[in-house]
This record gives sequence, C-alpha cells and structure tokens, in this order.
Amino acid sequence: MAIPVAQMWAVSSYVLKKRMAGVKKYPLVLMLEPLFRCNLACAGCGKVQYPPHILKKQLTVEECLGAMDEIMCPIVCVPGGEPLLHKDMPKIIEGLVARKRFVYLCTNALELKNRIDEFKPSVHFAFAVHLDGQREHHDYSVCREGSYDIAVEGIKEARKRGFRVITNSTLFDGADPNSARAFFDEMMGMGVEGMTISPGYSYEKAPDQDHFMGRAKTRKLFRGMLSNRKSSWKFNMSPLFLEFLMGDRHYECSPWSMPCFSIFGWQKPCYLMQEGYANSYQELLDSTTWENYGAASGNPKCANCMVSCGYEGTAVMDGFSSWKGFFAMARGTFSLYKDKAALKLLETPAKPAHRPAPLVKIKEPERALEEVGV
Amino acid sequence: MSAEVLKYTMDQVEALEIAPGTEAENLEGWIPELADEAELRLALEKAFSYRGDVTLTLKNGERIEAFVFDRRTGRTLADSWLHYFAPNAPEKRKLSYAEIARLEFSGKDRAAGKHWEDWVKKYNEKKAAGEKNIGLVPDALE
Repeated sequence: MAIPVAQMWAVSSYVLKKRMAGVKKYPLVLMLEPLFRCNLACAGCGKVQYPPHILKKQLTVEECLGAMDEIMCPIVCVPGGEPLLHKDMPKIIEGLVARKRFVYLCTNALELKNRIDEFKPSVHFAFAVHLDGQREHHDYSVCREGSYDIAVEGIKEARKRGFRVITNSTLFDGADPNSARAFFDEMMGMGVEGMTISPGYSYEKAPDQDHFMGRAKTRKLFRGMLSNRKSSWKFNMSPLFLEFLMGDRHYECSPWSMPCFSIFGWQKPCYLMQEGYANSYQELLDSTTWENYGAASGNPKCANCMVSCGYEGTAVMDGFSSWKGFFAMARGTFSLYKDKAALKLLETPAKPAHRPAPLVKIKEPERALEEVGV
Repeated sequence: MSAEVLKYTMDQVEALEIAPGTEAENLEGWIPELADEAELRLALEKAFSYRGDVTLTLKNGERIEAFVFDRRTGRTLADSWLHYFAPNAPEKRKLSYAEIARLEFSGKDRAAGKHWEDWVKKYNEKKAAGEKNIGLVPDALE
C-alpha cells in the first residue's frame, strides 16, 4: 500500500470523530501555499502570475504553523510556487511534523539536491515531486528541457537518504495513456512510495487556455490509463477517487475539505478558484455560499472540474463513513480493474486539441459513451 | 447503449468536451470612466481579478499603487472595501470604495500571453538551431 498505515489510521479516526460529532463540513487536507514564486513558468499553471512585489512576499514560519493550529487536520500539502525557494521551509516542515501531521512538500525538485541536507526523513514527511509524465511529456508540460532529469536525480537522492517520495502528475488534453502507464512503471522502478495523478483544472489565469479537458475526456483518459493496471503500481490517493476519475463513481465536490491558506488569507471557495479571502477557516465556512460551487451547481467554472482538491475529500469521507465505503476502498486498493473495453481505448491515438471550442455539457454521459468510436 | 450514447460519435465528444478556457480581457492601460456608482463597482471588480498592479487616485489627491487581492462589497460605497498589498509595504491594507476618484490598470498583466503553441513554436525553432536546455523562464523579480 502506498499510504502509510499510520496516516490511514489518523485520517479514518479523524473522519469518524467528525461524523460522530455531527460535523458536516470540515478540513481534511490543508493546502498551505507559503509563496507564489516559482523557478518554472508552465503554460498551464494559474498560480504564479503575480507582480514581482507579490512574488517576493511569503508566509512566515509562525503564519504557516498558525494556519495548521487553527484547523488541525491530519494532512498538509505544501505547494506554491516552489516551496524549496522559501528559506525557512525546513523549519515549517519541522513544525508541522512536530504536530504529528502528515506533510507532503510539493516540489518540482529543481532545488531538491541543493537543499536536501536541511530536511530529516520521517514517516510524517514526504517529498511530492511534480512530474507530468515521461521525460519528453514532462519537459514539454513544464516548458523547460532537462527538468525531468533533474527531478529524477532529486528523487533518487531522496530515496537514497531514506526519505519518503511520491510523485504528483497533472494531465492535460492530449495526454497519452500508454505513455502515462510507462511512466508509472518508471516511477515504481525508481522506488517511489506512491503516485498521485489529477486532471488539470482550467485556471482562469493560466496563460494557456486551450488544453484543459472536459469531464468525458477526463474519464476516457483515466479509464484507459488506470484499468488493467499492474500490481506494482501504487497510488497515494483514495481508490474511490480514482474510480471517480475512471467514471465508475459519481461524487459531488467538497471544496471545504482541502482549504488553501496563502499570503492573502483563506481562499474562497477552494484551492483552484479565487473569489475572495477569509481571515479564518470558520469565516471561510460561514461566508461562502457553498451551493454555488461544484459540478452539480451549474456554475460554469466548476463544469469541467474533477480535481482532487474538490472531489478526493468526498471520496475519503465516503470511504471512512460506512462499512460499504470501507469495503469498496479495500477492494479498490487491491483490484487491478480488468476491463476489455478500456484496453481498446489504449489503441486509440491521443488527439490533442489545438483550438478552443464552446463547451456543451452532455447530460450525465454514461460510461459507454466514452467507448463510442473505439 | 442509451439514446445519449447513440446521439454522439467519439469525434463529437472530442469536439464538444474541450473545455473553453477563459477569454482574457485586455485591461492593461485601461482607465475606466467611473461615471457612476455602478461603473465604479464594475471596474473595481475587474481590478480584483486583474493579475497586475493598479493605480488608485483618492478623492483627497493621494495616489496608491496596489495589487488588489480581495473586495468586500456592502450596500453603500462607504461600506464596500478593497483589500490590497502596496509594493513597498509588508502588511495588507484596505480602502473604502467611497474614497476612490480614479482607477488605472497601470501595471503589466502577468496572466497575459505565453500560450502553449508559442512555447512549442519557440522550442522547435531553438531545437532546429541546435540549442540545448531550452525553456521558458519566470519573469524577473525586478
């Protein structure tokens, strides 16, 4: 299993406590963005387009730990920007680990070898290295040649020193499921503990707006990629969320489950959309009209989203809230998802889109829809 | 197969399900008229979603360069507020809509440009010219 037993125990007991207390909306994962500055300029990223004086600002150690103390959820992801550009990052990680949180530092690993001496291995801490696929795919995706090789060197060094390492991949329109499967083999062969994958969200401020996928395309891609999987592949994600991406489950968004804290405050309503900021998590809960968000709301900004920060929380809560969910999760952990139709999907060449087109939301397409024309 | 499935071919699914993305508004350099309260509110809403600095001139003549990251709107201009960072101050600041006389989208729009196709074109050209370590680099922090 890719997820440490201690983390599963921490999450399951946390969800059960909230359930027994009758709490409906609560945080599962803190998305802590200490800075927006980055050493890459990816066309599909909408997180780093700010004036220089904003990019120079960063959260202090106290502000980062204060955000965790405010919500005390079991997991924290530290994305950015590039967190390894923050000089106090080791202190931030140390403080979070001291609080027995499970910490994932999301990095492109360009600086990993330079700074690895400043960190200590722990079951509570993992580097989540951003790799969007095999060498050519990743370098194209992050718009810099050579970045894959540097990241791989960083992964190997971190593994050698006993750190937990997972990978974090975002897939855009035109992604090749066969290449992604070969990438999974490469990563597991390198000794990573697990992998996380997600479709790209159509960030309003991303410079490139033409390569985000709609929901049917996302399901088709993930079904082809994740069905008939190898037993060696380990995913550091809820199996129920992966089933959602493959089109086997229907979930609604739980944007409050992965709140984002940055120099601006608590972001409304979710990690991806910026519709304002609250001064506290409680204010975020109280001042957001939640029914206006998620695919079911009809909000066009949410129509194509199947991203983990909205839907994985729902899947986790589903998995730990009932025996039915728990057994489905256990089954999903060990299933190889044999599926003949999905094998045929792998024979279809990946077709990238090179133009924007008006979105037509197809009413609840059935899974078979993605098989048409195969 | 359901009627829904029969209705579409795979090519149509491919064509229909391309997310449209957001059409960027070219606001850089714009100075809205602010003729009435509705125009002021609309322009400040655009300032909130603008990924560059704006210059605000107050009714007392003071000029403020600001990156607007939030706004809280009330029933009147006096109880509507912009939240911003100024380039040379570490703390968050706020300003009542009622104090604002003029707005200019003076800073560079950091979300504009850099399309995927531009990157691929640049990459192919440099590759053909024999260059190595080709890549886009973040804007300088000036």
